[in-house]
Amino acid sequence: MTQETKQLSEHAREEIDSWIKKYPEDQKQSAILAALREVQHENKGYLTPELMDAVAEYLDMPKIAVYEIASFYSMLETTKVGKHSISICTNISCMLSGSDEIVEYTEKKLGIKTGESTADGKFFLKQEEECLAACCGGPMMMVDHVYYENLTPEKIDKILDELD
Amino acid sequence: MTDDKVTIEVDGKTLEARKGQMLIEVTDANDIYVPRFCYHEKLTVAANCRMCLVEVEKAPKPLPACATPVMEGMKVQTKSEYARNAQKSVMEFLLINHPLDCPICDQGGECELQDLAMGYGSDVSRYQEKKRVVQDKNIGPLVQTEMTRCIHCTRCVRFGEEIAGLRELGATGRSEYMEIGTYVEKSMVSELSGNVIDVCPVGALTSKPFRFSARTWEMSQQSGIAPHDGLGSNIHFHIKQDVVKRVVPAQNESINEVWISDRDRFSYEGLYSEQRLSSPMVKQDGKWKPVDWSVAFDMVSNNLKESVSADPKSIAALVSPSSSTEEAFLLQKIVRGLGSHNIDHRIHQGDFSDQENDPVYPWLGQDIAEIENLDAALLIGANPRKQQPLLNLRLRKAALKGAAISALNSIEYDFNYQLANNIVVSPLAMVGELAAILKALAEKTGKNQDLPGFINKIEINSTHRAIADQLVSVKTTSVLAGNAFSSHPEYSSLRFLASKIAELSSSTFGFLGEFANETGCWLTGAVPHRMVAGQHSAQIGLNAISMFENPLKTYLLFNIDPLCDTWNGSLAMNSLEQAESVIAFSAFRTPSLDKVATVYLPISIYAENEGSLINVQGTSQSFASCVSPQGEARPGWKVLRVLANHLQLEKFEYEDVTGLNKEVNDLIGNVSPNNKAQYREAVLNKPSDNAVARVTDTCMNSLDVLVRHAESLQQTQDISDGKVHLNQTLANKIGLENGASVLIEQSESSLNLDYAIDNRLPENTILIHAAHPDTAGLGAWYENVSIRKA
Amino acid sequence: MQKIQQYFQSLLLWELVKGLQLTGKYLFKRKITIQYPEEKTPMSPRFRGLHALRRYPNGEERCIACKLCEAVCPAVAITIDSEQREDGTRRTTRYDIDLTKCIFCGFCEESCPVDSIVETHVFEYHGEQRGDLLMNKQKLLANGDKYEKQIAEAREKDSLYR
Repeated sequence: MTQETKQLSEHAREEIDSWIKKYPEDQKQSAILAALREVQHENKGYLTPELMDAVAEYLDMPKIAVYEIASFYSMLETTKVGKHSISICTNISCMLSGSDEIVEYTEKKLGIKTGESTADGKFFLKQEEECLAACCGGPMMMVDHVYYENLTPEKIDKILDELD
Repeated sequence: MTDDKVTIEVDGKTLEARKGQMLIEVTDANDIYVPRFCYHEKLTVAANCRMCLVEVEKAPKPLPACATPVMEGMKVQTKSEYARNAQKSVMEFLLINHPLDCPICDQGGECELQDLAMGYGSDVSRYQEKKRVVQDKNIGPLVQTEMTRCIHCTRCVRFGEEIAGLRELGATGRSEYMEIGTYVEKSMVSELSGNVIDVCPVGALTSKPFRFSARTWEMSQQSGIAPHDGLGSNIHFHIKQDVVKRVVPAQNESINEVWISDRDRFSYEGLYSEQRLSSPMVKQDGKWKPVDWSVAFDMVSNNLKESVSADPKSIAALVSPSSSTEEAFLLQKIVRGLGSHNIDHRIHQGDFSDQENDPVYPWLGQDIAEIENLDAALLIGANPRKQQPLLNLRLRKAALKGAAISALNSIEYDFNYQLANNIVVSPLAMVGELAAILKALAEKTGKNQDLPGFINKIEINSTHRAIADQLVSVKTTSVLAGNAFSSHPEYSSLRFLASKIAELSSSTFGFLGEFANETGCWLTGAVPHRMVAGQHSAQIGLNAISMFENPLKTYLLFNIDPLCDTWNGSLAMNSLEQAESVIAFSAFRTPSLDKVATVYLPISIYAENEGSLINVQGTSQSFASCVSPQGEARPGWKVLRVLANHLQLEKFEYEDVTGLNKEVNDLIGNVSPNNKAQYREAVLNKPSDNAVARVTDTCMNSLDVLVRHAESLQQTQDISDGKVHLNQTLANKIGLENGASVLIEQSESSLNLDYAIDNRLPENTILIHAAHPDTAGLGAWYENVSIRKA
Repeated sequence: MQKIQQYFQSLLLWELVKGLQLTGKYLFKRKITIQYPEEKTPMSPRFRGLHALRRYPNGEERCIACKLCEAVCPAVAITIDSEQREDGTRRTTRYDIDLTKCIFCGFCEESCPVDSIVETHVFEYHGEQRGDLLMNKQKLLANGDKYEKQIAEAREKDSLYR
């Protein structure tokens, strides 16, 4: 094991290995998205260049190729962000059901703008670019991969206050 | 009509094309212009700029010519209103985010976007919103970025991936936030990085040393030959007011295709170094004084005449293998005319013991272009990526096509393709390893006649067998000897074994060649044991090392820095210090020449010079002087000719370089090379246990005196660092910690040096870079050393 | 008859009277003679006189060494050398105009993307030596500083027609 791949935890490596097995042997790089997702999850929600280098080394890819992928997908964060990731859907259905007010309320409550993290590193208000596919329950948001639908300011208070 | 041909119609003309060809290839071949940005002949098709949209009959929308394969009966319109509109719309999109800074852009005047905007752009932009701005990146001393200008054609990314074999640039982010860059701040380290300047269709990637110094329309273009490796890449000088402003590649498919290495591209800066010698100088009472040519010539000819009257054999000459054929020819003619045979150009060779069996000249064994068709190759003591970068491109192409390339080195060099086998051993074990491959090959083929006796004792392992298998199982194979092969202290033994391996495996045996004109120097007799055209000399003079073993009276150094350019710098400096006169034909003042020389004769170099160079495949390429020499400097052949006249030597009445060139070509015209001579049998020296062996590696950008004076190249990583390199195990063994320095003792001297951890090195081996003034005085390139913590 | 008429006309100095009549007519008309150099004719804002290099209000020179003026100059009177200044911008190290070659066509001014090289309304300059008519960057910038007010006014007036 090289110095670089030591950055990855044993669990992360096991997880990546299980993904590698799903692809042909000479197509190790196919596991890149799964690998980055796992590594990001273990690193409290964001990737660092060192971690990306480690993944590159582990999957035998050029480092720049990993950077390209990590910066392309919006679910991968390449800068330090807050612990809880909040994505409020602002696509058309949610917008029509009043997501703008929800965004405004959340921004005000957390004291940050969309795309920023709170100073204590607890919340990250993510810029959500795409529909989260829960149009029937709009306005909705996703907090740490959990969907919350039919949002109201009171509901937001409750959900966010319950997070540690 | 054969099956693989199709007929298509473009703009009403009927054209024939190969099946599967892209439309743009067909139109290009038939002089029909289709605008493009991302398409590049040598790169894969990306089809992301959409500039080459054309109208194809029955297609529901315009199709990109670069990604549309031709089909039988296809009807294409490249200039119809429909096609034009599509192209104009694409141009409008491209210009949305492109800044209007052509006046300060170095690409202005040679910019593909600028040119096509004239043809396909509209006068006024309809775009009113904010343009995107991208922060510039510092990607090293050679390439300047201005990423706001980037149009995302990804030519540079594809170049890195496909040609250079090192993906350094990438497209990070997406949509409006997409950027071309390295993502993390880092310098490009590819030896071919300069080519992204040429492939970039806009001014996003430009040359850093050239930056803002001239505009394209002010410069005149003249042809030249790059003098830094054995290939002789074709280049163009761009000249303004008698000054070389930049160097770009010239297309020559049989040598450098359309690329050149960074070394060839940026070495021109050396011409304008402050160390250039601008007038003849003589040393009087230890001080240098500029003099007239006539005074210098009188002094030199008197020195030489004195030496001749005492003993002609007290004269020796060392000529740089980067010098032109004409210079080498005249210098040996003068030395032989004075009655001495002490002339050599093999400055990086350490073993001359089997020189009587030398081939006429060591050559590549095949044409450069044929390298890419190899099915298997064995590289011995070679780092082609850094030392013959464009030859390495061909090797890489072969490797990507599936060729099994194996390497045997003393340093684990970084190859930009997958090696089939890689053996890294101490230099002391090289002969043994090569013998093991030979033995495996003999066992495989059953041909075991004429093998050296010691071969029975050699043990072979699976790697040796694998290499042997690969060499015999495919058709086109080659054994290629690199720079570390020729400079190895057991060169003769290695050469015997390598040639035997080539013989048994029916491979070609080739030398990759280190300098620009080794072939020319061999053929013109700039060696002590051969005359012009490789004829054996009755008398054998002193070679590049033995001429320094006992101090002689007079030395002529042609384009040589005696400390940095010799195999044993301390030996050379010692003898030169004791010599009565040391005549330095040099383009530069260097500290070591300042110390030992008695006379400086300024010669022109590179773009200022004229003559010819013969490359490793034996092609002679002549070049004309493109700019005036600095100060009083004159082309080397003229200086030598006048010197010969002063010495009253006969047959030196050359009027111009063409006449001289003709004489040389007539003399050497019919020589055909053959590397597979009968060499003296190899001997195996048992390496002493636990000895620490020194290896020496010449860094790409420290090779010759010109690149050592090129400022920007000296800021890259590929230069001599004057440190002792050793692996972690050895460092631990002698107890090195951070910040400590190392005391290194070689037979002739000892030095206190900084160290660097370099885990590419095998056990008990240290690496010292050649051509660094701090370490060159240590002694021979390969020797056992003792090393401890200082 | 004609001869008699001529005789009387010359006797009565008729032609003189006729001439004086014209003189008299102009004696009472508005005077148009300009007393140069005390008085000067009006000038078009597009008048093309002595060259100047302008600066931005913050004192930064405008010229970016794009060399379009050098390229367009039909008399090849302009010579420019450029380099990267320490702050990374593109600047001239040399900007020479040979006024003995210049034909005052104004192409340099037209081609300038940053309104740096301009032709002022100054036309009554002279040189005592030939070298005085070889302008360099310092002289041109000094001209610019000296006549900036006039240059700016002229450009302001002309801007309506561009």
